[in-house]
Amino acid sequence: MMQVRLSHYMRTLGEDLRRDWQLYLLVAPMIIWFLVFLYKPMHGLQIAFKDFSIFRGIEASPWVGLAHFQELFANELFIRSFWNTITISFLGLVFAFPVPIILALMFNEVQNALARRWAQTIVYLPHFISVVIVAGIVINFLSPSTGIVNTALGWFGIAPIYFLTQPEWFRPVFIGSSIWKEAGFESIVYLAAIAGVSPTLYESARVDGASRWQMVWRITLPCILPTIIIMLIIRIGNLVEVGFEYIILLYRPSTYQTADVVSTFIYRTGLQGTQYDLATAAGLFNAVIAFVLVYTANRISRKVSSTSLW
Amino acid sequence: MKAILKGVSALALTAALVAPLAVSAQETTRIVDEPLELTMHFHFRDKYVYTQDWPVEQVVAEKTGIHIRNTASLATTSSRDAFNLLIASGNLPDIVGGDAGPTLKDDFIRYGLEGAFIPLDDLIEEHAPNLKAFFDSRPEVRQAISGPDGHIYFIPYVPDGKFSRGWFIRYDWLEKLGLEVPETPEEVYDVLVAFRDQDPNGNGIKDEVPYFARDEVDAVRLINLWDARVSGSERYGDFAIYDGKVRHPWAEENYKVGIGHVADWYAEGLIDKEVFTRGSRSREYLLGNNLGGMIHDWFASTATYNTALADEIEGFSLRPMLPPRTVSGDRFEDARRQQVQPAGWAISVTNEHPVETIKYFDFWFSPEGRILSNFGVEGLTYEMVDGKPQFTEEVLTSDTPVNAQLWEVGAQVPRGFWQDYEYERQWTNEIALEGIEMYEECDCLREEFLGVALNAEEKEIYDRYWPSILTYMTEMQQTWVLGAEDVDTGWDAYVERLNSMGYDRVIAVMQAAYDRQYGAQ
Repeated sequence: MMQVRLSHYMRTLGEDLRRDWQLYLLVAPMIIWFLVFLYKPMHGLQIAFKDFSIFRGIEASPWVGLAHFQELFANELFIRSFWNTITISFLGLVFAFPVPIILALMFNEVQNALARRWAQTIVYLPHFISVVIVAGIVINFLSPSTGIVNTALGWFGIAPIYFLTQPEWFRPVFIGSSIWKEAGFESIVYLAAIAGVSPTLYESARVDGASRWQMVWRITLPCILPTIIIMLIIRIGNLVEVGFEYIILLYRPSTYQTADVVSTFIYRTGLQGTQYDLATAAGLFNAVIAFVLVYTANRISRKVSSTSLW
Repeated sequence: MKAILKGVSALALTAALVAPLAVSAQETTRIVDEPLELTMHFHFRDKYVYTQDWPVEQVVAEKTGIHIRNTASLATTSSRDAFNLLIASGNLPDIVGGDAGPTLKDDFIRYGLEGAFIPLDDLIEEHAPNLKAFFDSRPEVRQAISGPDGHIYFIPYVPDGKFSRGWFIRYDWLEKLGLEVPETPEEVYDVLVAFRDQDPNGNGIKDEVPYFARDEVDAVRLINLWDARVSGSERYGDFAIYDGKVRHPWAEENYKVGIGHVADWYAEGLIDKEVFTRGSRSREYLLGNNLGGMIHDWFASTATYNTALADEIEGFSLRPMLPPRTVSGDRFEDARRQQVQPAGWAISVTNEHPVETIKYFDFWFSPEGRILSNFGVEGLTYEMVDGKPQFTEEVLTSDTPVNAQLWEVGAQVPRGFWQDYEYERQWTNEIALEGIEMYEECDCLREEFLGVALNAEEKEIYDRYWPSILTYMTEMQQTWVLGAEDVDTGWDAYVERLNSMGYDRVIAVMQAAYDRQYGAQ
């Protein structure tokens, strides 16, 4: 039975390939990229269970079972970094996720084409600035002696705040500047979705005497909801991934308390401390959590809204 | 072809210049009759590789008969990555050398124990008289580079000169305010307060930054005034030796007192508010804008601001001062130059000519090899004056720093060699030399913690506990200085937390390793 099904499958695959070879050719580079950069390296994940030495190599390093995981979970700094990751991502989800949607809706309402193009270009621009430069700008703006933010606070008689060394300020600064950098660019996908909404819907609404607010609320939003949900699922999958380059540029030992995330922990132990096995264990754990999150989000979404990734 | 021609001309040059010595020297420096080529991985300072084009290399190849062919790729912009990739590939050339961050010493030992590099002790004993003499004269260096099994797996780059950093203060500000060079913690306090309040730069604005620093390690250097240490070595947050016992300076009682006072001074505005965020350009910025008053930093580079800013700031005089006496009346300088660098070279297990290789390593420790590795090639970068190498005027007055010029010819590169401080003295600023002399007279350096080689069980304990402890200690240091928590109320919890994080266990393995390694002293 299996045999029959398999041979049938192979035959149809062969036919498909012959018929649509141009399409498969187009998709090939992406598949190869996945195989080479995402699937092949999975072989190396086994060092999370080994006492890895780069000289002995992956094969010859002895197995140690779950020792690295035990070590990780006994490490309060790892646990802290894990919760920090979740907290930063979650706050990012709450505060940063809606911004591009709102931006896209606002752009859509701007009638003057020239003003609209200008506004869009201005909010896209920060996306193309390297994080190193963004971090430099943030550090300068928030400097307690010469920064523009503290100068402005000074006009209202507020004493300078040393934002970057105070743990309670790290998350607002990080999330705020990330929104500034990325919101504009992320709004593109929603703008595209809005462009796909059929104009007839608006026309008939206008005939029925709907206000603009009602059109946004009753037509635009429901129509782009599938896009929003897909973006949300992807975002949830990335809950445990916080861009570590930007954090490394902004954090100091005095803000580790709120700023140290799993990826920076991995960076410090794995790359700086050369404990590759421990860092791989941390990374693997992260990936498993991410998978569970995506899977759950997808399940819920499929049940509730019949929109899902798979 | 070009390389060969260059080699020939360089040889002719040296042959002509060292002619009187050549007859006898030729006999002893020749290692092989037929030219022998050895392969070597040598990547350093993240952007250079060993090359046969270096004039120094050509002279040495001619003298010894050993030709080195580099296998490291210039395409890699990280010496650490280059080293790791090499080890991971398992395809080792005859020699592995260069530098690759602060852990290369541990890596040489670790991979030596795993079988990548051969132990050199017997080879040195039999074939390397210069190395043997050097190690006999500097037993602490031998101890510092030994593995947990007592063997030597690499020949290190041995720096020379004792002093790295020292205290500098604006003498012109002191004079303007009618103050003396501070000698005690109270006097330092008064001077810093005066710098803050009495407008020494005379612009009418209270913008002076009394104490400032460039590196993390100097940000809290003022804890020295309360007898506490920042680190036992040039590495930030290293262990230190207290009467033969390994401990960490940041877990000591005097550290509590020191960091408490530093926190107070920070709160009062005596220490740069942005000391942790300003970064490496702080010195340039704060001195250039006539804002900074006192700093603890490298002698040579800090002293050069006197010439650089002479035209811009009238009367600018940033001169070295002795470390102030501590509360207990002691006087010490916390920082010192590393005695052994985590750099050098090792012989791979696949090398078929270990004897020739060790003789080649030995050559660099011979008087002739030392001059070549320190000063470059005679006639090109230096001339012999009264039997001593002296850099040419051209080298000393060039726009390119002297050390950068030397790297170009293949001298002062991190091979296993013995540096000669004279090379640096010849181009060090007078004010810096004055400071170094002052410190030399004071003779107040603390013993350097040279590091230990941990065996497998010890390393496991260390790796399990230490990274987290160090992170925690660094975090608390900044938390206290920035005033987010009071040291007096937080100290007991801090000590308790250190213990629960495994501080005592780490210290125990460090002590065991230290006793094994330096016990014979």
